[in-house]
Formats: sequence, C-alpha cells, structure tokens
Amino acid sequence: MATQEGTPIRAGAAAVPYGHVIGSDKWRGSTLAQLLQGKIKLMFEDGLGLVDFHLSNRVCVLYISETDLVSGNAFKRRLVRFRKASNLKGLVIAERTRLSEQYFPPVQNFVALELGMSLIPVANQSEAAQLILCLVHEWSREGGSNPFVSKKHCNLLDNVVLQTVQKIPGVGRVKALQLLQTFPSLQELSNASLAELEAVVGKGMAGNIHKFLTKTT
Amino acid sequence: SAVSSDRLCILADTREISSGPEVISCLKSTHGVQVEICSLGGCNYIVSNRLCVERKSQSEFSNCTNRSKLAERIQHLWNMFDRVCLIVEKDRVKPGEISRQFQRTKYYDSTLSSLISAGVQILFSSNQEDTAGLLKELASLERRKNTAITVPTQVTSHKQEVLNFYLSIPNVSYITALNLCHHFSSVRQMASSSVDMLSSKGQVSRHKAEEIYRYLHYQYDPQMLQAGDKRKHHS
Repeated sequence: MATQEGTPIRAGAAAVPYGHVIGSDKWRGSTLAQLLQGKIKLMFEDGLGLVDFHLSNRVCVLYISETDLVSGNAFKRRLVRFRKASNLKGLVIAERTRLSEQYFPPVQNFVALELGMSLIPVANQSEAAQLILCLVHEWSREGGSNPFVSKKHCNLLDNVVLQTVQKIPGVGRVKALQLLQTFPSLQELSNASLAELEAVVGKGMAGNIHKFLTKTT
Repeated sequence: SAVSSDRLCILADTREISSGPEVISCLKSTHGVQVEICSLGGCNYIVSNRLCVERKSQSEFSNCTNRSKLAERIQHLWNMFDRVCLIVEKDRVKPGEISRQFQRTKYYDSTLSSLISAGVQILFSSNQEDTAGLLKELASLERRKNTAITVPTQVTSHKQEVLNFYLSIPNVSYITALNLCHHFSSVRQMASSSVDMLSSKGQVSRHKAEEIYRYLHYQYDPQMLQAGDKRKHHS
C-alpha cells in the first residue's frame, strides 16, 4: 500500500501535495476510504488530531457520524477545539440519516451559525466520498473559474448616470441630457443653485429639481 | 423609530408572498419578527445591513439546467451584499403525491463545493417553517454583530422618490438605499459626502462606499453614451 512508503507530510500538518488527500489513520479500511482510493491519492497518517481529512493546504474535513450525532455533545467540543486551534477552513460533513435527522437542525444552528463553519449533510459514507471528491476537485483547480465568485464589472456608467438623473420626478431623457451637459456628475448636479438650474431647464422645472435635491427627507 | 429595538426586522421580496407564504407567516407568528414586504429586485430576503438570503428548493437547486441562472444570481448578490447565504429547502410533498427519493448527483455536490469555496453560506432546511427558523437565527446573529436593520422600512411621498433615486445607483441594495434615505438629510448632502460618511450612514463597507463615491463623481460623457447606444443597435 502507498501508505507503507514514507510520506512527505509532517504529522498533522497542512502541507498536502497537489491531488492528494491525507486521511486520519482511523479511516483505514473504511467504506469511505475504499471509495476514495483509486479516484484520488489517499494517504493515511496518524496524529491528525481533530481532523479527519486534509484536502489542501487550507481546507480540511471534520466528519460527524450518525453515532456522534445521536450520542451527545462530544463532537461539539471537538469542533470548538478545532476552531480555537486552527486557522484552516474546516468543512463539517455530518451523517443525516433517519436516525439522526431530528438532531440535525440544532447541530446546523451550532456549527453553521454559531461557529460559522460550513456544514454539509450526507446520508452515508458513500455520499461523503462523492462530496469529498468534488471538494478536492474544487480546491485543486486554478482560481478564477468559480462561477459563484463575483466578477469585476467595468461597464460604462454614462447610461446608468443618465438613468439616475431621470429618477428625479418630472425629469425625462431630454431634460436629463441637458442637465448632464452643464453638470456632468451627480455630485455637481446635486450642488447646483436654483439660478444655475434655471439657466438650463426653465423656472418651474428648476424649482422642482432644486426642491428634490435639497428637501429634508 | 418604526422598528422597536427588541423586534427583529427582515425584508422579504414581494415574490415570496406566493412562493414562500409559510416562511413569512411563520416568521411573523411563531418568531415575532417584523417582516416587511418590498420589491427587493433580485433577492429573496434581506436580514441585516450586509446579509441577504436566497431560498432555493432542493429540486431547483439540483437541476443542472439552472446552473448559469444560479451563478448569475449569486454574482448579482455579491455585487450588492458583503454576505450571501443560500438556503436549500426540501420540496413540499403535495397531498396525494408520493415523496420521491432525492437522487444526489455529482452536479449537486460540485455545485455545493463551488458555492462553499466562493464564500456562500449554505444552510439546509426541511420545509418553509424550518426556513423561517433559520432566517430568524440569522437575523438575531446579525443583530449581535450590530448589523441589524434598524431604520423604518415604510417610506412616504418624498422619501419614496429619494429611495428610488438611490436604488438606481449600481450595486446599491434595498437596505443600503433605505439607510441612505434615512441617515442623510437630503440628496445634496448625500451626494457631497465623503467616503467615510457614505460608509457610516449607508452602513456599508469602505469598499462599497468608495464604489458609491466614484459613481457620484463620475464625469458623464455624451460621446460614451452614443458609443454605447451604437454598440447596442449593432448587436
């Protein structure tokens, strides 16, 4: 087995070689480990402490089994200890089964809301294996390809500014264009005096615009 | 102030009246939350000055044909909010219908992975009642971090016009526009203020305040508008 060879990983360390997963020794021979092997380079180490799997230098998995969920609060202490001891991003995978279903909502409140960690339910180790493979894939690909990360827009704002000016009651496109020719920014327009506005759009309209800009809300 | 300090306030989009009626009624009756229905423009719930919540049914979420729509939506939310939360809610089983076993696909897991990696907080809910409980928890957590919604949510006449004006600023959320509306005495005062003032009165990050500031000082160029129009006509 690959684990017989010396791994380049320090005990409990976060240095995970590209494309590898480091699993705690206690998972050796488990269904989860068997499903991961062959699809990913899985190495076992003892002394991972609170962590079950290291997926990358930054991300690790803490696994909460059905038994953990049903049998009390020990797993909570483990998660709290992890949060205090580590700066790694800890993902919590929890077995939500027919038996542990009722415990899930309060656990989610604790893990996701109180501790601010990501919690993902799985039905069994087989679902956990598919999830872990997807997580590894996600964290090993190059940055910039995640479709859920916000992209920087550099749209031309001219048309948007024109729309904003038209939000002033009574101001249509033609009047908005006239105003922007004289007061090219919203800041300048907002600070225009009544006389300055009257020179552009006529008395009645100027009064309305001036009132809109200066009236106390 | 219209919002009493001990009552949590959550803004719900008008569309939620039909798609999540029990969420809203449960928030009000079970949790005593003040729910204001507003036209939020592309977001389901706003629970604080910085956090919005998107609610998706499990079947909608698991359907890979919705991927680009979901990505577009989440990116839109990131442009407006510092924090984005997605609640995946189990589908309601209609009377007489047999509950179908949920088939967990690789698409489902890879979407979850990408969302988590993008910093989206994901929560799982069994039904609308459960979702209401999560929204209430999120709102009270945000209150503990001093980001709760505290401004009055009802606006009348002149304030409504000013609110619409602020809402036209790119990437300004409904709650940010409300904060600007209530915390600045006039549009002129808002448009002339510093980045720091925009940040504290709008209850937004410095980064967002800078974005608003740049917009207010953007020099309009009619040439650019024509260029933009032409491009639109050609496409």
